[in-house]
Amino acid sequence: MSTLSAKVQSLFDEPGCATNQAKPDKDRKKGCNKLLAPGAAAGGCAFDGAKIALQPITDAAHLVHGPINCEGHSWDGRGSKSSGPLLYRTSFTTAITEQDIIFGGEKHLYKAIKEVVEKYNPAAVFVYQTCVPAMIGDDIEAVCKAAAMKLGKPVIPVNVPGFAGSKNLGNKLAGEALLDHVIGTEEPAETTPYDINIIGEYNLSGELWQVKPLLDELGIRILACISGDARYHEVARSHRARAAMMVCSKAMINVARKMEDRYGIPFFEGSFYGIGDMSDALRKISQLLVDRGAPAELLGRTEAVIAREEARAWQRIAPFKERLAGKRVLLFTGGVKSWSVVAALQEAGLVIIGTSTKKSTPDDKERIKELVKDDAHMFDDLKPREMYKMLKEARADIMLSGGRTQFVALKAKMPWLDINQERHHAYAGYEGMVALVSEIDKALSSPIWEQIRRPAPWEFAVDRGELQLHIA
Amino acid sequence: MSQNAEKVIDHLELFRGPEYTEMLANKKCMFEDPVPAEELARVGEWTKSAEYREKNFAREALTVNPAKACQPLGAVFAALGFERTLPFVHGSQGCVAYYRSHFSRHFKEPTSAVSSSMTEDAAVFGGLNNMIDGLANSFSLYKPKMIAVSTTCMAEVIGDDLNAFIKNAKEKQSVPQDLDVPFAHTPAFVGSHVTGYDNALKGIIEHFWDGKAGTAPKLERQPDGKLNFIGGFDGYTVGNLREIKRLFDLMGVEYTILGDNSDVWDTPGDGQFRMYDGGTTLEDAANAIHANATISMQEFCTEKTLDVIEGHGQEVIAFNHPVGVEATDRLLMEVSRLTGKPIPAAIAKERGRLIDAIADSSAHIHGKKFALYGDPDLTLGLAGFLLELGAEPVHILSTNGGKEWKEKAEVLLAGSPFGKGCHVYPGKDLWHMRSLLFTEPVDFLIGNTYGKFLERDTKTPLIRIGFPIFDRHHHHRYPVWGYQGGLNVLVTILDKIFDHIDQNTNVVAKNDYSFDIIR
Repeated sequence: MSTLSAKVQSLFDEPGCATNQAKPDKDRKKGCNKLLAPGAAAGGCAFDGAKIALQPITDAAHLVHGPINCEGHSWDGRGSKSSGPLLYRTSFTTAITEQDIIFGGEKHLYKAIKEVVEKYNPAAVFVYQTCVPAMIGDDIEAVCKAAAMKLGKPVIPVNVPGFAGSKNLGNKLAGEALLDHVIGTEEPAETTPYDINIIGEYNLSGELWQVKPLLDELGIRILACISGDARYHEVARSHRARAAMMVCSKAMINVARKMEDRYGIPFFEGSFYGIGDMSDALRKISQLLVDRGAPAELLGRTEAVIAREEARAWQRIAPFKERLAGKRVLLFTGGVKSWSVVAALQEAGLVIIGTSTKKSTPDDKERIKELVKDDAHMFDDLKPREMYKMLKEARADIMLSGGRTQFVALKAKMPWLDINQERHHAYAGYEGMVALVSEIDKALSSPIWEQIRRPAPWEFAVDRGELQLHIA
Repeated sequence: MSQNAEKVIDHLELFRGPEYTEMLANKKCMFEDPVPAEELARVGEWTKSAEYREKNFAREALTVNPAKACQPLGAVFAALGFERTLPFVHGSQGCVAYYRSHFSRHFKEPTSAVSSSMTEDAAVFGGLNNMIDGLANSFSLYKPKMIAVSTTCMAEVIGDDLNAFIKNAKEKQSVPQDLDVPFAHTPAFVGSHVTGYDNALKGIIEHFWDGKAGTAPKLERQPDGKLNFIGGFDGYTVGNLREIKRLFDLMGVEYTILGDNSDVWDTPGDGQFRMYDGGTTLEDAANAIHANATISMQEFCTEKTLDVIEGHGQEVIAFNHPVGVEATDRLLMEVSRLTGKPIPAAIAKERGRLIDAIADSSAHIHGKKFALYGDPDLTLGLAGFLLELGAEPVHILSTNGGKEWKEKAEVLLAGSPFGKGCHVYPGKDLWHMRSLLFTEPVDFLIGNTYGKFLERDTKTPLIRIGFPIFDRHHHHRYPVWGYQGGLNVLVTILDKIFDHIDQNTNVVAKNDYSFDIIR
C-alpha cells in the first residue's frame, strides 16, 4: 500500500494543475483528495474512474480483480465506441470469493490472466485492483509482472482500489498506469510532422468520429487517442507525437504534462463542444504542429476548413435559433463541459441562467465568467435538495445534465436533456452542435412538459372554486 | 439429405437444406413457367410505388386483408359477459367454430358457444326446427342460466324471425318458458364485430328491461344512484375491466358492469373446468335500469345500446377507448361528476406516476412517426395517447370506421401540433396500409397480429396493440385503461423502440459498436 499512497501523494503535486499550484506548500502536500462525509451521497470511486479512462482501449482485455460487485456494475456502462475490436466490451473478472480472501487471490488472478490470454489473445491485459484484494494484500504488480514474462503479453497493473479516493483520482491513476507501463514501450513504424495525441477523449457516442474526418482532411494523423477508440499499440507508441490536445483537463492532466516533460510533446487544453471551441481546437492543433516544424501552409488550410464548416453549421442551426432564442437553460455538469457547453448553447440563442462548476478548475470558472457575464449564477456544489428547490424557483425552460441529476430535474417538472456519458447522441464537433440544438428543440417541444406542470384537472376545478367534489 | 428417421427435422429447418432448395428451384424453372427474376423483382418494386398506390386506392370491389371481423363475433363477445350465459348462434356451425377459435387464440382460454347447425334443408325450409332442437339440446347439455341468440348470414338471408322462433321453441317446450333467451339479428354483411356487440348487448338489455319479449311486465325505473359501465368489444377486456373495478372501488362508486368478460376469459388452472365464470348477474342486468347514468368506453360499440338506455331516462356518456393521462382524467372526472364521489389521493398518485414515466422516456417517442389501424374507438384512444406523448401519427386507418369516425379523428388531430400531416382512412384495408407505408414511411406501426405481414413487407416495426393478438401471449391480462393502463401502453411502445435499436446494432463486428447495455 505504501507505493500506492506515494503515488497518490505525487499525483497531488501536479504542476499542470492550477488548483494545486495555487495552494500554499503545506496544503499542497496534503493533496486534493477531498474526504467524503460518511452518510452523504457520493460519486464513483478510484476504480470506477480508472475503468472508464482505460476501458476505451478496445483491443485489450480489461480484467477486474475483485468480487463480482466491481465489474458487475461497471460492465459496459459507458457507450465508448469502437471502430474495430470489441474485446473491451467483454466483461472479465476474477469474481473472487471467500476462499480467495482466506487463502489469497494471487494464484486465482494469475490463472485468470492466463485464461484471458489463451482464450482471447488480446493485445494486452489491464488488471484492475479493487478494495478487497488490496486489503488482503494481493500484490497485483508482482502477479502482472510474472504473467507478462511467462505469457509474453503486456499485462498492466492498474492499482486503483476504490478506497484510494475519488473517481477523478482514478482517472489520474489510470493515466499513471499508462505512463509507467505502456507509453513509450513501442516505436511507431513511421512518424510524420502531422502526428498528434488526443488525451482525455473517450469517444462517447462516437464523438471522436465527428471530429476525425476534419483532421483527416487536413492530413493530421491521430497517433493515439487516449483512450477513445484506441488500440493498445497506438497508446504504446504515442510518445512520438508532435503535439497533443488535452480534452478533459481534470481527468488526465498528469498524462499530458508528463508526456511534455518526458518526450517534449507540447499540449493545449481544448474542447470539441461548440462551434467556436471546435474551430479553436483545430487552429491550436495546427499551430502547435507548425511550431514543431510542420509546413506553415497547414494554417491556411485549417482556416479554410474552419470557414467552410462554420458556415455550414450556422446554416443548419439557423432554423432552430428562432425557436430557441431566449429559452433559459440550467447547466449541471462537471469539468470542462461547463464552459465549453455554455459557449455552444449561446451560439444557439439560448440564455444560460446557471451552471455548475463542481469539477471545474479556476481556469474553467474564469472562462465561464467571461462567457456568461453577470447574468449567470455559478454553483459550486449543489445538493440535490437545493438543486430541486432552485429548479422549481428558477423557472428555467430546460436543464442539461448527466444521468445522476436527471430525476431531480424531472421531479421538479423541468425539461431535461442528457449531456453526460450515458447519452446516445454525439454532440462533438460542428456536426454535434447541430445535433445538440436539435435535441434541445425536441426536448423543449415535448408535450409532456405542459402536462407535467399542469395540476390534475380536478385540482384545477377546485382552484377555480368549481366542482368541489373532485378533491378527496 | 432429406428426412431421416433418426433425426426428423421440423418445418422450420426442413426446406432450408440444399436438397430441397435445389429441388424447389428446379421445379420452379422446369414446370412452373416462371417470369424472369428481374421481372418479378420489377413488379415487386412497382407495388411499392406511388403509381401503384393510386391504383390500389382506386380499388372498388376487392377487399384485401381487412382489419375487421363480423357481427356475430361481437354478439358472442357480448353474450359471454353475462352470468352462465351460452352464446347461441342461429346459422351454420362453421361460423361459430371460427368465433370460438378466434377468441381462444387471443385469450388463450376455452370459449364456449353453440350453433343451431343449419344445413341445406334448413336453408330451404327455414331454420325453425334447428332452433327448437338446438335450444333444447344446448339447455340440457350445458345447463346455462341464459341463452343469448344471435345469427349468422345464413339465417339472415332466408329471413328467420328470431322472436317468433324462440317463442315457438318455448311453446314446444324446447326450453323452460321462463328461461331468459334474449336475441339479436347480427348479419355479417352489415357492419362489423363492433356492430354485433352493440346489437347483442342491446338485445339483452331490452330483454330484461322491456318485459322479456312480452312475457313479463316492463320494469319501472327508480333511480338508485348507481352507475352502469360498458367496456365494449375489447381485446384487453380481462385486464381493463379488473382495472376499472379497482378504480371504482377506490373511489367508492356503486356500479354495475354490463357485460363483464374478465373472468370467463381468465379462469385459473386449478384442475376445474369452468364453462362459465363470472359475468354480470342476470339480476344486476335487470336492475341496471335504475342506475343514474351509463358510461360506455367505446362509442362505436354501443351506439344503439346507449340510445335504448337513454330512452329509459338515464344520462349516457360515451368515450372512445380512452388511453393516457388526459383521456383517463376525463373519464374519472365524469365518473366523479355522475356519482358525486371525489377522486381519491391514491388515484392522483397513480396519475403522477404515469406522467413521471412519460417524462422519463418521452425523448425516445417524441417526434417518432406512427401508422395506426384497428377498431374505430381503439384507434381514436391510441391516437390521443400518441399525441400526448409527442409522437406523430401519420396514417390512421380503420376498416370498420365510417364517416363519423373520420370526422372525430380529424378533430382530435387538429387539436395538437403533432397531429398535423396525419391522414385518416375510413373503410380501407391492410393492403391500402401497405401502399401507405411504402410511399409515406413511418417509424412504427401499431396494429393487431395481422400487421406482421406489413412489418415483413415494409420493414416497419409492428407494435402489437389491438384485437386479435394471436402471436404474442397474455397481453390481454394487462389493462390499457386507467393510468396503470397508460403505463402499460407506454411500455409496450418503448419496448419495441428499444428492440428495434438493438436489432439494428447487433451484427457482430459490423454494427454492434452501438449495441449498448444502457438505452
